[in-house]
Formats: sequence, C-alpha cells, structure tokens
Amino acid sequence: MQKFLLLYMIFPLLLSAFTTEYEVKIYDIIFSSFFPKKETIAVWTDNHKQDEILYKLHHVRLTYVMRNADILLIAHSTNIHNDIMKFVTSYKLLQHYKESVVGGFYWKKGRPNIIFLRKNLQKYDINLPTSLSKYIEEAL
Amino acid sequence: MKHLVKIYVVLLIFIIFVIGFFSFSLHQTQKKLTHNIDTLFIAQAKELSQNIELKLHQEIDHDIYKQLEKHPQLRAKLENTISTMTTSFYKYIYVLYRDVHGDYRFLIDGSKEDKGEFREKFNIAKDKWDIAYQNQEPKLLYQKHLHSLWVTYLDPVVFHGKTEAIIAMDFSTKLPKSIAIATKPFSTTLVYVFLAITLLLFILFYQTFLNFRVKKESITDTLTQIYNRTYLRELLEDFDSEHYQVIMFDIDYFKQVNDTYGHKMGDNILRDLALLIKKEIRENDIFIRFGGEEFLLFVYRKEHDKMFAYNIAQRLRKKIEQTDFIYDEVSIHITVSMGVTCSPERFKMVSSAIKYADEMLYIAKKEGRNQVIHTPKLQKKHQVVEQYLTINEIKDAIEDDRILCHFQAIFNAKTGEIVKYEALVRLRTREGEIVAPVAFLQNIRHTNLYNDMSKKIFDIVFDKIKTHQIAISINMTFSDILNNDIFMLILKEIKAHQACIPFLTIELLEYEALELNDTFVQHIQAIKSYGIHIAIDDFGIGFANYNILQTLPLDTIKIDGSLMKDIDTSSTSFHIVKSIILLADALHIETVAECVHSKDVYTIVNDLGVTYMQGYYLAKPQEYFVKQINDIEKR
Repeated sequence: MQKFLLLYMIFPLLLSAFTTEYEVKIYDIIFSSFFPKKETIAVWTDNHKQDEILYKLHHVRLTYVMRNADILLIAHSTNIHNDIMKFVTSYKLLQHYKESVVGGFYWKKGRPNIIFLRKNLQKYDINLPTSLSKYIEEAL
Repeated sequence: MKHLVKIYVVLLIFIIFVIGFFSFSLHQTQKKLTHNIDTLFIAQAKELSQNIELKLHQEIDHDIYKQLEKHPQLRAKLENTISTMTTSFYKYIYVLYRDVHGDYRFLIDGSKEDKGEFREKFNIAKDKWDIAYQNQEPKLLYQKHLHSLWVTYLDPVVFHGKTEAIIAMDFSTKLPKSIAIATKPFSTTLVYVFLAITLLLFILFYQTFLNFRVKKESITDTLTQIYNRTYLRELLEDFDSEHYQVIMFDIDYFKQVNDTYGHKMGDNILRDLALLIKKEIRENDIFIRFGGEEFLLFVYRKEHDKMFAYNIAQRLRKKIEQTDFIYDEVSIHITVSMGVTCSPERFKMVSSAIKYADEMLYIAKKEGRNQVIHTPKLQKKHQVVEQYLTINEIKDAIEDDRILCHFQAIFNAKTGEIVKYEALVRLRTREGEIVAPVAFLQNIRHTNLYNDMSKKIFDIVFDKIKTHQIAISINMTFSDILNNDIFMLILKEIKAHQACIPFLTIELLEYEALELNDTFVQHIQAIKSYGIHIAIDDFGIGFANYNILQTLPLDTIKIDGSLMKDIDTSSTSFHIVKSIILLADALHIETVAECVHSKDVYTIVNDLGVTYMQGYYLAKPQEYFVKQINDIEKR
C-alpha cells in the first residue's frame, strides 16, 4: 500500500508506460513466433490506436492494404472473410472468428490475457515456443 | 563568517529535523490509515464473500460447474445478485473454477464492466491463487503490477469438503487514490516548506558569501592583495599578543625609486615585494600593508623563542637584498629596514608593541638602513649596556623598593655653591649591583610599570626635598608630558606636596622628535602654573629649535654635553655655547653647562657667563648629597 501510494504520487505515468512496453514485448514475441523466418512482418490493423505499439516493433511494418498483410490485427471488424492470418484483441472477436483466428491478446480486469487456438495454429503451420504453449486452447 | 556558517548549519539541521519529524508523522499516519482500511476492507470483503457463498449454496448443492453449465438462467440470476454488490471500490466481483489443466475460468461475473464469459480462460498468477484454492482459506493479494487494481480478495467456495470455485473481489485504486489525495496537501506543503526554506537558506548563504567578499575586499589592499590597515584595526580589537612577534619594515629610498622609474614601477615593486614575503611566511603569520611602502608582519611563534621574529626578519631582509626586481628589462635592487618587537607581551597594548617596532625601524633607518633592529641598544652608539633587564626583574625591583636616585650637584658658576641636584634614577639588582636607566627604562616605556616607576621617583625626590630642604630637578621626556596618565600623576604629586614646589624643577629631555602641539604646551603651562621650574635638557643639539623658547615657559636651558666636550678645542662649539648663553641672557633664562669634565672647560664656560655648571669635574652622581665646599676644594 505504502509503495503503491508512493508510486501513485510520484510516478503517475510510469504504469501506463509500463503497460505500453508490456504490450510491445508481448506482440513482439507473438509475431516473431508466428513468422520465425521473416525479417519484416506486414501487419494490417483496423485499430489505429495500436499504431504506436506496432511502430515500436522492429520486425513489423504497418500496411494499409489488407491483401499485402502477413497478419491482420483485428480490434473491431466482424466481416473479414479471407485466408490471411488473423489475430484479435478481444474475447468476443476470438469467439466470432474462432474458425480462422490463430489467437488473441486482450486485457481482462486489468490483467493481460493471451489465447491461441490449436486447430487454427496448425492450419497456418505455426509451432509456438514452449513459453507460449500454456496459452493454447483446444476450443472456445 | 565562521560563526555565521555555524549558525546556518545548526539552522539547517534543525529545519531538516523538523521536516523529517513531520514527514515521519505523516508516514505513520498514512500507515495507520492504510492498516485501518486494510482491516475494514478485509472485514467487508469477508462479509460480502460469505453472502455470495451463502447464495451459491442456496442455489446449488453440488458440482457447481455442471449446474451452471446446464442452467444459464441460474448464471444470469447469480450474476445479477453479485452485481448489486459491486461499487466503485469493489470494481470486479466474480467466481472462477479451476479446470483439469489447472487453468482458471469464469463461472459467474458480477462485474458491471469488462465481464468475463462463462468458461472464458482468465490469466492470473496461478501459483498464488492455487494456495487459496488448496488451503481453502481466504487470501489477500496486493496487485503491484496492475495499474487499475489495488488488491484482490480470494475466498474458496467449498462443497462437501472440496473446493469447487473461488470467489474473487478486485479492489480498484480509487481508495488508495482518495487516501493519497487526502494526505497529499500535507506532503505537498511539507515539500514546499522544505523548498522555501532551502531557497531561503541558499539566499542567506549567497548573501553571506557576498558580505564575506565585500568584507574581504574592504580589508585587502588592492595593489598588493595583502591585508590593509582596516584589517589591522579589527585585528587589534581581539589580538593574542602572546603568540605573535611584530616586524615593521619599509623599503629604503623608495621615493627615489618612484622618482627615478615612475609610480608604475613603484607599484610593481610593492606588489612583487608583497608576493615575495607571502611566499616566505607561513599561513599563521599575518602580513599587512601598513601604508605606502611600510609593512607590518605578525610572526606566529609557538614557543617562547625571543629571537624567532628577529631571525625571520634577517632572513627576509637578505632575501629581498638578493632579489632582482626586473621590469621592462630594468633590474632594480631594493633593501628594507626592519624594526622588531621580540617581546610584545611586555606591552599593555598591541598598538604599543607596533609603536615599539616602528621606533626600532626608525633607528634602523637612522643607523644606515638595510638592517634589522630589535633593541634600542644601537640607539646610542657609545652606550654600552651589559644586559637589559626583563619586565619581571623591573617589576620585582619596584615592588621590592629597589628603585633609587643618584643625585648630581649643579653649581652656581659665580659662587661655587650647590644650588640644586639632578635626580638620576637607578635600579639596584638583587645582587646589589646598581644599574643605569638605559638598561630598564626603554623596556617598560609603554607599560604600566613606567607609571609605577615615575611615582616611585616622585616619592623619593619629594622625600629628599622634605628632609633636606634642597632643590632637586627631575627628568621627564616629552612623551611623559603628553601621556595623560603621567601628566595626571605629576599634578597629583604636586598637589600632595605643595611645600616642596619651590624646590622642584622638571627637566624636559629632548631626544624625541616631537612637535610642540597644543596639548603638550597646555600640560607644561599647567605644571608651570603651580610654580614649578621648567628646564629644557640637551639644548643646542639634536631636536632643539628656537621655537621651544617661544612656546614654552622655560626657566632654565641645559646646554647639551656634546658641545662641552670639545669647547676647549673647537671654536665652533665655543661660539655655539656662547651664542646660546647670550640668547638665554637676553630672554632672562638661566643656563646650565652640562658635562663639565675638566678644569679648562670649567674656566671657559665660567668666563662665558653661564649661570650654573654640572659635570664629573665638579661632582659625580652619588646616592648621597655631596658637600659643596669640601668637594670643590678637593679639586
């Protein structure tokens, strides 16, 4: 409590910075795991609030043309029907695209939640490292 | 400055202590507040959790997961019930179960926002949750790494001895925020007070520094960067003369340097000389530009080595003598004359010790310059003194009544009768040896002992006058008359011995170059007003000038002995003495021929018409009064 008060009073921006850095790190690990051989991963997203985070990823290049993307990072759209690899930012979208999405990363009650769907990972021939395998779900 | 720094340091420590105390008090208050809130929270959370658990047990009797999977309506009902309990503080209230893989998933979520769906996996710190799950005991988890949450309360739901779910309550950061907001004004005030005081102290320090700098500038000579007379004035207010000896020196023929090479060159020499001396002395020594080309050096001494400063002065003098002062390819050699006070403790005041060093400097100048003088031994070349008495020896002699007078008869030139005696002070040592005044008067001239000795002499003289009813002259220097203490002593003695006044003559010794200022003349006139005879000694040589005859109410002139020595062989001396006698006659002033050492001299001065005579030919100074007829007849 005391430490928290101190953190709150003296470093109010520290936690938000921490959250952003945390997300950058997670996306870096996830995308690198999806495309271990690619030097640059083209990412399309419908949430430009994510741009700040994606810009910080060294292996990621943002693209505004969906067909040029290696992976789609979907935050809102529910009508995307193509074979491009999908990754979502909410549990609802995960359920919505459960037949094609490889996984999702979202915040639930202040905690980071990661979920991968095994059958879709296999579909894209993705082998996750051991550190991420605990987040793999058979089904939703 | 040192005192101010001490005050500031004490002040700063005090302020830091006070602020530290307040910070500590605030910290303790926050700690107590936090503890109370924790206790309150746990109690409330426990009560809420028990209510939820009771509700679950009311609705479900076993296998909670299966029951809720089968009955979505029941889930909705329970979620509604739990959601009524959520507040802005109880941000999330939900129930989780642990699946076969050990992962936690949502059963019911009463949260009003960010709801978890049935069976949704929830990534939490499983190891900590497992403890509550397995132990079947409530647990409190502080969420240090979650920015919107403060603490999570966990309470396992047990059916028939088996944990089937876990109730979780996430507390939002609103509560600690409210505590922080409540206490922030105090802590902010403390910070501002601290900053204000720090700023104030900084300003004070800066101001002190400026004062110090201004003060330093005011006590520093701008040319030589050594102390000036302003500093000397301050120094003398609280000066430890026990540990310092005094050297006064100046540059010989400095005016000629200025006149020949210009003042700029003169300034360069002064600056470089000061630099040279500064390099040669120690930190404890105090070096002051006394004025013009005159410098004062206080030499620190730990031990009572009387000649310490003298030796340093000699070293400095030689160093300066050997140094080439080169400016614009012109090499200039300078020398210095130095006067030293080796025993400043003898003097009542430091200013007297400085004056003494100045007198010695004067002698050094007079005796040929480029030398160091520390005693008046060389003042009179032919005066040989075996040993100078110490202050303590002189003091003891006064206290032991070993001060005495010898009396030298003064004869009427016409009748051969003794008209008066000149009292000459002597000191008898413990061993019985009689010591002349040159061995002790100079050492005590600027001390209280001098007054005591003067009183002693007056007592002896007045006692002799009373007993023998004879005229006696007593010697006083110009300085004595100017000295208020001695002057008051003279008046006091005169008033106390009114009957002796007609028999008393005061002889003014004229070996000092003193101007006849108003005070001096007033003092003499005051003494004269009682009817005391006034005589001037050593007239005709040295500092004598005719202004004395105009200014002072003189009764007698004593012609200087040096003129008498060769009056029988030198026509110049003869004519000078003759003219003095004629002048004195014209002014109705009596004359005394001193140092009458032979029959020829006796005859010559007698023929010239001198009023009185005195000298070894006629009578030597004796402790007793010589009989005039017998002693003259002996010759």
